[in-house]
Amino acid sequence: MELTSSARDGAGRAPRRGMDGPRGLDWTDIAFAALLAAGAAFAFQRVGGIMNYYDKAILAGAAVVLAWLAWLWRPLRALMIAVAISGGLAVTLYQGDLARADQAFFLKYLLSSQSAILWMCALFVIATACYWIGLIARSGTAAWVGTALTWSAVFAGLTGLLVRWHESYLLSPDIGYIPVSNLYEVFILFSLITALFYLYYERKYDTRSLGGFVLLVIASAVAFLIWYTFDRGAQQIQPLVPALQSWWMKLHVPANFIGYGTFSLAAMVAFAYLVKAHGKTSSWVKLAPLFVLGVLLAVEPLIFRQTGMPAYWMTYAGVAALIVGGILMGRRQLAERLPALEVLDDIMYKAIAVGFAFFTVATVLGALWAADAWGAYWQWDPKETWALIVWLNYAAWLHMRLIKGLRGNGAAYWALVGLLVTGFAFLGVNMFLSGLHSYGEL
Amino acid sequence: MTTATSSASRPASRGLGIDLLELLASMRFAVSLLVFICLASIVGTVLVQNQPSNNYVNQFGQFWFEVFETFSLYHVYNAWWFLLIMGFLVVSTSLCIIRTAPKMVRDMRSFREHVRESSLRSFHHRAEFASPAAPTQVAGSLADLLKRQGYAVRARTEGPATLLAAKRGSGNRLGYIFAHTAIVIICIGGLLDSELPIRLQIWLAGKKPLFENMSIADVPASGRLGLGNPSFRSSVLVPEGGKARNGIVMVDDGALVQPLPFTLELKKFIVEYYSTGMPRLFASEVEVTDNETGEHFPATIKVNEPLRYKGVTVYQSSFDDGGSTLELTGYALRGGQPYTFPVSGKVGGTAQLVADGAPASDALKDLTVEFSGFRPINVENFANGRVGAAEPKALREHVAAVSGSAARVGQNEDFRNVGPSVQYKLRDASGQAHEFHNYMLPVDVDGVKVFLAGVRTNPDEDFRYVRMPADADNSLKEFLGLRAILQDPQARAQAARRFAHANRLAAGSAADGELSAQLQASAERALDTFADGGLQSIARFLETNVSSGEQQRAADVVVKLLGGAMAELRAVERERAGLPALPTGGPEAAEAVAWTQAAVGAMSDLFLYPAPVVLSLKDFHHVQASVFQLSRTPGKNAVYLGCVLLILGVFSMFYIRERRVWLWVKPGQDGQGTQTLMAMTSQRRTLDFNQEFERLKADIAALPPQQKG
Repeated sequence: MELTSSARDGAGRAPRRGMDGPRGLDWTDIAFAALLAAGAAFAFQRVGGIMNYYDKAILAGAAVVLAWLAWLWRPLRALMIAVAISGGLAVTLYQGDLARADQAFFLKYLLSSQSAILWMCALFVIATACYWIGLIARSGTAAWVGTALTWSAVFAGLTGLLVRWHESYLLSPDIGYIPVSNLYEVFILFSLITALFYLYYERKYDTRSLGGFVLLVIASAVAFLIWYTFDRGAQQIQPLVPALQSWWMKLHVPANFIGYGTFSLAAMVAFAYLVKAHGKTSSWVKLAPLFVLGVLLAVEPLIFRQTGMPAYWMTYAGVAALIVGGILMGRRQLAERLPALEVLDDIMYKAIAVGFAFFTVATVLGALWAADAWGAYWQWDPKETWALIVWLNYAAWLHMRLIKGLRGNGAAYWALVGLLVTGFAFLGVNMFLSGLHSYGEL
Repeated sequence: MTTATSSASRPASRGLGIDLLELLASMRFAVSLLVFICLASIVGTVLVQNQPSNNYVNQFGQFWFEVFETFSLYHVYNAWWFLLIMGFLVVSTSLCIIRTAPKMVRDMRSFREHVRESSLRSFHHRAEFASPAAPTQVAGSLADLLKRQGYAVRARTEGPATLLAAKRGSGNRLGYIFAHTAIVIICIGGLLDSELPIRLQIWLAGKKPLFENMSIADVPASGRLGLGNPSFRSSVLVPEGGKARNGIVMVDDGALVQPLPFTLELKKFIVEYYSTGMPRLFASEVEVTDNETGEHFPATIKVNEPLRYKGVTVYQSSFDDGGSTLELTGYALRGGQPYTFPVSGKVGGTAQLVADGAPASDALKDLTVEFSGFRPINVENFANGRVGAAEPKALREHVAAVSGSAARVGQNEDFRNVGPSVQYKLRDASGQAHEFHNYMLPVDVDGVKVFLAGVRTNPDEDFRYVRMPADADNSLKEFLGLRAILQDPQARAQAARRFAHANRLAAGSAADGELSAQLQASAERALDTFADGGLQSIARFLETNVSSGEQQRAADVVVKLLGGAMAELRAVERERAGLPALPTGGPEAAEAVAWTQAAVGAMSDLFLYPAPVVLSLKDFHHVQASVFQLSRTPGKNAVYLGCVLLILGVFSMFYIRERRVWLWVKPGQDGQGTQTLMAMTSQRRTLDFNQEFERLKADIAALPPQQKG
């Protein structure tokens, strides 16, 4: 049939690689699923003895979910295989003895959990720099390096978490637990999830120009991790209090951090949106709210500190303010290089939708867990209450957008403020308000 | 659209009721309610909830306490206005569903096949195709294409033209209905499980919370809830060997008794610790007896593993002391004679100090001991203050310290179990009390074994510890003997004499008699001043008698002098007690010096110790108690159902995209071939939708011009 005329609204772009919608199942997908099944079977055979019924169900479920994710986004397959190899190598090198971490070369410098996590931190920071160089110097190569480094950082971080899991069991079989139990561990998880979602959108929308923006939030998570490690020694594996010894943790925490990660991503895209929208603004009065919000977001973790301000954080706050100021100074040039507002808006919406869906799941799972651990599925604990506030905030955002057609600067500002609220729920509650969720105090 | 409500066409004179209904069902109203709930929740998190009234009065003062109390800000989540807002939210959401859901279901099922060609032409997303094949053939192959892509298709012929109306992803609308129904269900379930049912019983059924302590048997019927009470959350403390037939429901500052359908007997409470002293496991071994049938069975209740029986769920909530029996020795801290006496008691109980014939026994007689706590295990971190911990490190070492495995033992960790400890209050006749925390066993601090005796004035403070050195028998006897003999002027003079003598011997023949006499006088004055008020009184003496420039040097001299004289005083004490003299050389002598130093510090601290006696734990029998939470939550299943609906709803709203396609297939202008008008729409015109439109367009364009068969 012959197309004779066509019309549609909006200055959309032509379909792109990676966006070609529904896809078939090819033999590689099936082979990979079989590989995952084999991996799960191996895990059952090795450690099935110490798992209860629920843990086994979660393991089987995880294999299915990973197979589905790998089909949805094929680059994950390479990542999973690489992480499986590095994790397996680390386990082999450990030979069941923690002291090997200081003897075996690969463990000492690469694969032991802390080494891998420090690598992750370094790689994320360099990747951020590369993305910005790519954006400022219009260098495709630098941006490509940024992407490669972000993938490497995700690889290193995942390896670190997996090896940490193993190390906790080496420390003592009754201590062992999945490393998503305290503020240190979840900060790593947060960085990884945010980075993975970013990489997904980067490929899907075929643009690397957002990397610099999204990785800023990861870089500030890294700044926190570094301080938490060097100043507080938080990297040490601490045994779990009885309330946390539950298989629910394996579900509740990751679901929650998909929410936190995508909300942060949405906020950074919103920031890019506002920078682009203000590309031709010359009035500083109009830029002031954006500057204030940007700085506020960067220094949010510091506002709640009750004890003084060490030089480290002073420097951090200064650098953050300079970066936000610098971005606003270069808004005209950046605006030209950022994707269309329509695309930014779309990413923002998609990220918040994913985040909201998973945040809903996480809150429900949390309620189910609380019913077992604390005797009530909901008891207005500060963390629960703030989770509700975050949830309601994004529920309102989505309502306004889907029903009232909220778009543009308003939606973007709201997404940025949303991150302030989320940040408080994530960090502020732990530092500021006492409650049952006090697992990560500062 | 045909289903849109046409509010504009309604008569202007509609009733107030309809206006109100409109308002309640409007999204603006719902969003305002949500904002209000958010703000109230924030208040609830910033202001710590459900504390005793006194705490709030202390924090805000009487005036603001009452203002806040008026708005129930201490119980925000159970305040009438909060529940009212929740009620409005339920009503508003229900109205919204009732109003919109039928429309949505209708819309979902409709193919909208009565659309006209002209209106299709006004769609944003449209395309036209031409084909040489016959219209029926084209319509057939187009319908096949759409079906292959997952669309439901309905065809309608109008004269020579055929309209294909297709839709996909109608589940999206179900998502809306699910998610909003879920909110209503969750709110209703939550209200059932809130304090509301108990409060209703107080308001309507004449139940009265109790504010004073009384035994359960004495509680009047108005203080008891019914056995069949459908919704409650109560707690109970059961000591080992004890039984519980009732739970206690707290309402504000009062309490109600909730009878249980079974008896809970605590056989054994188990608590296990990690090496860091952090608890690893709490578990209660219980025997449950059905009050009706007498049937009984054992069960283990753990954190994360509650017991469910007869509609009541029993959780391990915390633990406490169940009345451990304690044997202690009281050491008098006043007077010139060492004096000890036995004390015994129970945790949670009180005891009088019976010490007839003790020096200052009057002071003791007025004191009541309240045993407030006992801990069989105390794990403390001894790494802080360790030498070398703060040495500067190179960057490389810093990095090395945090790389490698995350399981290495940190430099700041040296956990040791220092054994049992007892906590008690001493209340005097006027009701004033101090709290004490004493360890049973001596602890090694800087090479000297010391007993730690903690004291604090109010519960918000940390304990400040006096470190009293232990003797060879691991008791306080020698130290307290030394304390007593310090009060004896003759003994002090004797010690000063011995000190001067020893110095003269050390100095050999060159010793000067006059100097020696001066030394003796100084030593005696130092002891006298010290005996009068410890190091503080020596400092005061120096301040008044020595010029400020000389004070530091003079203090060093006096401290040395005091140390030497106290060592001699100790020798005097040991002689009187018939103990062998301490060696003057070797490591033992160094230990003796450290011991005396510790003794001087502790004795000085004792002058600030707010009690005439210290109680040291001698023996104990540990009895634990388990604190259970017992609840009946009728709304739980409703809430869980709501949660499932909510998740289903949210995911289908976001991930099932509704799309509709119309294809107007008609013969070509000159009667030859076919012309097709395609129009596509979706609720959400996102980038994805644009792409899908392009794809479908390409797919249609790629259809072969002639369909075979």
